Amino acid sequence: MQTIGILLPRSTYYETIGFDLFNGLKNNLNETGNDSIRVVTENIGFGSEKQQCYRSAEKLLLEENASIVIAYIGQRGAQLLRPLFLAMNRLLIVVDAGANLPHEADYCPNILYHSFHNSLGAWLSSKMAIADGKKTAGMITGYYDGGYLHTLATTEGFIQNGGEIKFNVATGFKSDTFSMDDLIPHLQNYPGSALLTLFSGDFVQWYFKELIRIFGVGNTAVYLSPFGMEEQMLADAPFPGETTKGVVTWSRQLDSEKNRHFIQTIETNTNKTPTLFSLMGWEAGLLVDKIFRLQSELGIKEITPELLNAIEFESPRGTVKLYPKINTTYAPMYNATVISTENNTCQLRIDGTIESIPAHLDELTSIPLNDVETAWYNSYVCI
Amino acid sequence: MHLNEMEGKRKILVLCGGKFALGALQKLAYEHYLCGVGIGQGQESVVKTLETAASTSQLPFKHFKDKKSIAELDEWIRSIQPDFIFSISFPFLIPSEVLAYGEKKFLNLHLGPLPAYRGPMPIFEVIRYQEKETAIAVHYINDAFDEGELIFNDFIAINPTDTFGKVATKLSAKAAQVAINLANMLEYATSIPSSAQDENEARYFEFPEEEDTFINWKNMSASEIVSLINACNPWNTGADCLINNSHMKLLSATVSEETHSAIPGTVLSYKDNGKIKIACMDNRCLLVETLSCDWGIVTSEQYVKFLET
Repeated sequence: MQTIGILLPRSTYYETIGFDLFNGLKNNLNETGNDSIRVVTENIGFGSEKQQCYRSAEKLLLEENASIVIAYIGQRGAQLLRPLFLAMNRLLIVVDAGANLPHEADYCPNILYHSFHNSLGAWLSSKMAIADGKKTAGMITGYYDGGYLHTLATTEGFIQNGGEIKFNVATGFKSDTFSMDDLIPHLQNYPGSALLTLFSGDFVQWYFKELIRIFGVGNTAVYLSPFGMEEQMLADAPFPGETTKGVVTWSRQLDSEKNRHFIQTIETNTNKTPTLFSLMGWEAGLLVDKIFRLQSELGIKEITPELLNAIEFESPRGTVKLYPKINTTYAPMYNATVISTENNTCQLRIDGTIESIPAHLDELTSIPLNDVETAWYNSYVCI
Repeated sequence: MHLNEMEGKRKILVLCGGKFALGALQKLAYEHYLCGVGIGQGQESVVKTLETAASTSQLPFKHFKDKKSIAELDEWIRSIQPDFIFSISFPFLIPSEVLAYGEKKFLNLHLGPLPAYRGPMPIFEVIRYQEKETAIAVHYINDAFDEGELIFNDFIAINPTDTFGKVATKLSAKAAQVAINLANMLEYATSIPSSAQDENEARYFEFPEEEDTFINWKNMSASEIVSLINACNPWNTGADCLINNSHMKLLSATVSEETHSAIPGTVLSYKDNGKIKIACMDNRCLLVETLSCDWGIVTSEQYVKFLET
């Protein structure tokens, strides 16, 4: 019997993150006939405690003999675990929000990033602003979200395509210090500028409230990254106008049989609305299934670059493949607009598919890092 | 009291051989693991830089000028009482009596994959043998060079145009990351997975001698010659060769797609777009760009001008 492990995080604003990841994984393993696989879980808190993270992974490998470990961690967490997985020659699948730039981490044959590419989405969202005719922009973020290098993807996506960043606004960490008043003089000086925005979780709701309070509905051109357009949070956010758009990794609105089936399965089996994290767990199950099948076909027990290169599967968000240069998976991404529900909250409208993701990744991973690195150890949205 | 003692962190003493280890030292110091620095041989400027940095950080520092001075290593380590000792291109074999300080306390960051590339200059060997990747291999130190139990190989790619200097620079940056990853591993692990090296895969390479750095026109293909040239640049100022009975060293060259039927080593042209074209045994041509001769380090074009005057 095969054993796999999963390191589960916690988050104060995505309270069900661990539950969603685990249930996504288990439901998919049952779907693909892998219900005999033993899944062992370990909790890693916010992912910032190095000892907890390392010991949990070590326990899964040494005591539980897990052949694959899935972990919702960032690149720095993965770097911490790198020597352990190299020494044991086992595979670590990092289900990754992608808030770091993908090339911040060195290639490692024992670490596969299954990324939801928030940085790439931010980069594409900035290019969308250029395509909409925006010449000037400001980056809007906060104390927490601004600590990851998707900030560089956001600004470079705009600058490298001919735009100018004229201002930056960073907010405080708590709801009572969250304000967009600092934006007023900037938009007076540079009217019509694109607001290239990096927020996640509750911050999105607070942000929209502030934009409506100060500027009214539909008077700001907001461009969001995938985690800024996460539908669970948008469902409780006030509608800021259809001038709010961006790029998403996945949406409930994607019109495909695989997506409908995924949503229905999670809703039926867990009595809960599927989230991005349910999908991460679901796709981790598809990855595990694919890897075990390839090992069986090739008659090997090891994880080899050739094996990882052969990964390709259909998921609710399209075909998932490997970008081998940095061992990261990718799938199509989608242009989307925030529209109103009957209750004047937010939902998404999918406007089109972004193909050629490898070409966009080529561009993104060409951004020089110049020794900058993220300040945060914890997994993205795990605060 | 050092910060690492205050934080209860593992104390790591680093034995190094020069500037290659500077990045690793910085990272270990930044994370408060570093408790002392020893350097074996080393350029005077690097020794001075390290001594000053160690003094500023109030870290013990010792320079081991030669093999004889290694006799002082045991007492020095015991006076510092580190939890672990990292060797990063330290040029001397650590004697058994020093290793007796503690089992599995001495770890080497070897600059090539193990067990295939044991020896003092693996960067030269991996380039010469046209490997597509090399590694920092982390292993426990025993009383023979590079033979202790292996913990892991952490690989990086080698590009076909990479010189010894380029690979060394990349490995230096890699060693810094590996050192901090290893320190974290030692800090948090309950046990360190390691295994005996596979002796069937093991090879030991001595420090290269002139016969290793000499281009053998009769036996080497054009691409093997380019690899040897890259492997000798800059530490040997290029690959040694004889051209028209003159000894020189080739520093950079490429392979031409042109073919020929001349004797290997024959100069086919001194002026092929500013390069010297030489016949190779696989019927390919070598295009020499830069070389070192009695007149200094010159481009092929400059060399030809000297010949003509």
